[in-house]
Amino acid sequence: MEKQSEEQAAAEPADSGGEGGPPQVAGAQAARPEDRMTLLLRLRAQTKQQLLEYNSMVDANEERTPEQIIQEKQIEAKIEELEKEIEEVKVAFEMKKLALDRMQLSTALKKNLEKMDIKTSALMDNMKQILNLNKLIMKLQQETWDLEEKLLDVRKKRLQLKQASESKLLEIQTEKNKQKGDLDSMENSDKIKNIQQNLQKEIQITTVIQHVFQNLILGSKVNWAEDSALKEMVLQLEKNLTMIQ
Amino acid sequence: MSVLRPLDKLPGLNTATILLVGTDDVLLQQLAGSMLKEDCASELKVHLAKSLPLPSNVNRPRIDLIVFVVNLHSQHSLRNVEESLHHVDASFFLGKVSFLATGAGQESHCSVHRNTVVKLAHTYRSPLLFCDLEVEGFRTTMAQRLVRMLQICAGHVPGVSALNLLSLLRSTENPSLEDL
Repeated sequence: MEKQSEEQAAAEPADSGGEGGPPQVAGAQAARPEDRMTLLLRLRAQTKQQLLEYNSMVDANEERTPEQIIQEKQIEAKIEELEKEIEEVKVAFEMKKLALDRMQLSTALKKNLEKMDIKTSALMDNMKQILNLNKLIMKLQQETWDLEEKLLDVRKKRLQLKQASESKLLEIQTEKNKQKGDLDSMENSDKIKNIQQNLQKEIQITTVIQHVFQNLILGSKVNWAEDSALKEMVLQLEKNLTMIQ
Repeated sequence: MSVLRPLDKLPGLNTATILLVGTDDVLLQQLAGSMLKEDCASELKVHLAKSLPLPSNVNRPRIDLIVFVVNLHSQHSLRNVEESLHHVDASFFLGKVSFLATGAGQESHCSVHRNTVVKLAHTYRSPLLFCDLEVEGFRTTMAQRLVRMLQICAGHVPGVSALNLLSLLRSTENPSLEDL
């Protein structure tokens, strides 16, 4: 359901017949006298603006179909290009709007400051508070930065120590391996074999000599238990020399 | 005509037409009355409608601005507005549509949450105005705003178009970059 209500809120334009008489007043409205020149100029401005709007709509609704058949990939590439353009325009527009807002704010602020008493206004208090907070923020940021630097130094030192200990351990390990290698090689060398053979020979010779002496003493039927020096010697001859090896 | 199109008719000379859509007859009448009392150099025409689509047999002038009035006290008005939105052409939403939420003052009676209306306005990229239409002073102020908006949307203000106004009215709470 629709209802209509119409009222003329302004002076009716004078007839084109050129009467130029006093403007008509509708209802209880106060008359706004407007002479014909002003009215015509205003109408001209209106019509211009409306024409602009219609033109821009017509331009916006124009569809340009491509003449040749373009491949799908190229179409996709074109679509991406267009989307990028749209995004760039949007961003640029946002930036401009921000700049405009800032300018409006600064002029309003300037006008306000000119009017108000500078020393006792809440605005100045706010601004002083803002300045103090900013100083505090900067100081704290500086402190944070310093602490972070220190932390970074400590971490660097720790890393260096770790690396040094790693290299040291590596050295120790290589040394151990070298020692083991040397030991193994030594055991298999010929020199040792010769020495071992000589040792065996000497032990055999000494054992034979021991037995000879033992038999000599026993054969002489001397009572060796009585003499302590002889007892010692006999006991020593009992020593089995193969155990030395 | 089942769909309202913004520029399908030629504008009347020195005329600006506003369409108020809402379920609360009384409030709309009061708002229309306040608007017509405003001082304006152009002729104002106020059309009231409960819902769209408008009957096509009536000869009406080109509509320059549509204001959808949602009463926060009733779900019915919100649903009515949502259904009416389907009958508006997309090109209308380039600055020639506005949402007006009324009744936000009495929090206890509100059955529609404020955020619902905010989201609705955001979906349609149109400005949202809040006003308690029952209070005389607020109504007069809102009428002044609407008259100014109507003049711009009808093209009576040189140098400012409806689209310009739309981008100026975007508040910093819902920046347009969100749509990226």
